[in-house]
Amino acid sequence: MYKLLLCVRYLQTRYLAFICIVSVMLGVATLIVVNAVMSGFSTKLKDRLHGVLSDIIIDTDRMDGFDITDTSGKSLTPDQIIQKIKDSPAGPKIEAITPTIEVFAILQFNFRGQMLTKPVRLIGIDPEGRASVGGFSEYLVRQHGDPKPSFELTPEALKQHEHNRLQRERLSALEVPNVPMPKGIVSDPNAIPEPDENTMKKDMPVAKLHGIIPGFTLAHFRYRTADGVVVEEAALKPGDDVTIFTVGGLPGAEGARMRPVYGTFLVTDYLKTEMSEYDQSFVYVPLDQLQQLRTMEGRCTAFQIKLKNYEADKLVVADALREIFDPRSGARVATWEEHQGSLLTAIEVEKSILNILLFMIVGVAGFSILAIFTMIVSEKYRDIGIMKSLGASNFGVMSIFVGYGFLLGTVGCCLGTAMGLWITDNINEIEMFLTKVSGKQVFPRDVYYFKEIPTNIEISSLIYVNIGAIAIATVFGLLPAWRASRLHPVRALRFE
Amino acid sequence: MLTAENLQKAYRRQAVQVPVINGLDLEVKTGEFLSIVGASGSGKSTLLHLLGTLDAPDSGRILLDGKRIDNLPNCERDALRNRTFGYIFQFYHLLPELTTLDNVLMPAYIGHSVTGWWKTRSKWRARAMELLTRVGMGHRITHRPGQLSGGELQRAAVARALLMSPRVLLADEPTGNLDTATGDEIVRLLRELNRDDGVTIVMVTHNLDIVTATDRVVRMVGGVVTEDTMPKQSSFHAPLLAAV
Repeated sequence: MYKLLLCVRYLQTRYLAFICIVSVMLGVATLIVVNAVMSGFSTKLKDRLHGVLSDIIIDTDRMDGFDITDTSGKSLTPDQIIQKIKDSPAGPKIEAITPTIEVFAILQFNFRGQMLTKPVRLIGIDPEGRASVGGFSEYLVRQHGDPKPSFELTPEALKQHEHNRLQRERLSALEVPNVPMPKGIVSDPNAIPEPDENTMKKDMPVAKLHGIIPGFTLAHFRYRTADGVVVEEAALKPGDDVTIFTVGGLPGAEGARMRPVYGTFLVTDYLKTEMSEYDQSFVYVPLDQLQQLRTMEGRCTAFQIKLKNYEADKLVVADALREIFDPRSGARVATWEEHQGSLLTAIEVEKSILNILLFMIVGVAGFSILAIFTMIVSEKYRDIGIMKSLGASNFGVMSIFVGYGFLLGTVGCCLGTAMGLWITDNINEIEMFLTKVSGKQVFPRDVYYFKEIPTNIEISSLIYVNIGAIAIATVFGLLPAWRASRLHPVRALRFE
Repeated sequence: MLTAENLQKAYRRQAVQVPVINGLDLEVKTGEFLSIVGASGSGKSTLLHLLGTLDAPDSGRILLDGKRIDNLPNCERDALRNRTFGYIFQFYHLLPELTTLDNVLMPAYIGHSVTGWWKTRSKWRARAMELLTRVGMGHRITHRPGQLSGGELQRAAVARALLMSPRVLLADEPTGNLDTATGDEIVRLLRELNRDDGVTIVMVTHNLDIVTATDRVVRMVGGVVTEDTMPKQSSFHAPLLAAV
């Protein structure tokens, strides 16, 4: 009983103890805030990493796409492959599946009279099918959340296209017509013949009014004005035309022969995932158009699959799919987590290293407890002697100080948890206040693409932090407590 | 009742052994009020600590009712100090963080677990209040030691020493830090307790005037008993004795 009484009384009356409490409180609050922010970033990043990826992705590096044959050796079309997948053991676990073509390309467009080019990742999709596997229509700007998105052009886009066309015609009327170079008097037998435009254009697809959905960052310029305001200006408006250059394959006797191909498309919407990697490189076009452009009709380079229950079935389905798509043929089957494996691991590693570093803060609080406890024990020499003369055991005296450490840790943790949760809850207001006071932006929103600092409080992490901090406070109280218990009562009573 | 046989105790100061008790023999009878006198350094307080198991002798034996207690395991010696012996110190030694009542209750707190205390708390509170009233401190129960005078502190310390109804009260210069009048009051209180409750008291003092209130005086010189007599009654203390 006396242990409890003295622990509480020492806590109430020893002002030195408040230093320990404040140390633990600050350590715990910092850990909670940093963990919440890290977890917020991590969760949001995971959402975005998952974002444009479906649950399971099957892809191949072959330029001419998958080559799955039936029993007669005939190549299967994407629809036939989908049917084969649905008939496999994985079939009942699949909610939706869609074929895509993914290839690197160059995007070219005219901006204020300048021709701009950007390397992009060109993805041919069936918009409805792509929306059904998730991670598409929720990121579209105009057709946001539409279950049946399309590449159709809006009347405004068509108007813009018409405006652009007229503008070009007016400009070309001003241009000086090309004067043909005079032919040589004596023709050079080794000279390269003049290109025949008609022959060149013969194989090229005629520019049609096909829609394209570029990433938001690709289509916009982001800059900061003199006032420090971030401005996003559209470089590509809906209806503006862009040219896509990529490679196409012609089936030949010695396999696919690659050649450059290009096509013209009109901007119809933007993809805005807030994940810079996607927003500055992804460009969606209709699957059939891309197949035609690359002369690979009836083929695709990837399948996106959505599962009914991802967590429960991901491994089973991936294994079943590996039976159909032989890895030796260059096909890969991966869950979205495997696809983004290195990034996800990096986030986890970063979080655990940060936790270790931050626990050192609580370790520092532990050392302050050690120092202050040693002082308190020295101050309490005589009290220890009195208690022993009244029959207190060594263990009892030790328990007082271990309990005292535990109590300090607990009070510090409670206050620290309250403080940490309050800061986490008001982190954006605090950030704005700090920005206002310091005049320097603490959290540059244009860098992170987040409107506000993301936070996510995990109950398990709260529990671990509290248990850890209380344990550290108790353990650091052990040494002074042991010293107190070893004190000889007669020497303690004589202590002045 | 309490017997010391051929006690030896030396303290080590750096490399030098300083003998404090040198083959001391002493017997304290049940219900006796014994005073031990001697000059500073004669070993009085050390003897008291040895008798009360606060310290262990280098050699010799201490017996309580014929049973050896100096070599008992720690837990049994703790229990003896809690229930059989009561200590009164020159510097009162109350815990500054606690109120007078809590200080008096401290031996009961030490002797009980939380649940044990919870079950018997009203009994102990009543006992503490009774003792505090008896020593004239009933009106000061909520005060902290810092708010009490020397005499009041010592009276509270007496009440604390009596809480567990000890068989032996060991008083180490209980009047050493008090003025004569207050010191006399404390001695009168001890005498009363000895006479009315039959508590055996061993009191160490270097004040020869107050020993007249005790049954027996033992003089110590150089760690041994040199004189064991009945006290001489001084004229100054006649009224004190007359009062009790």
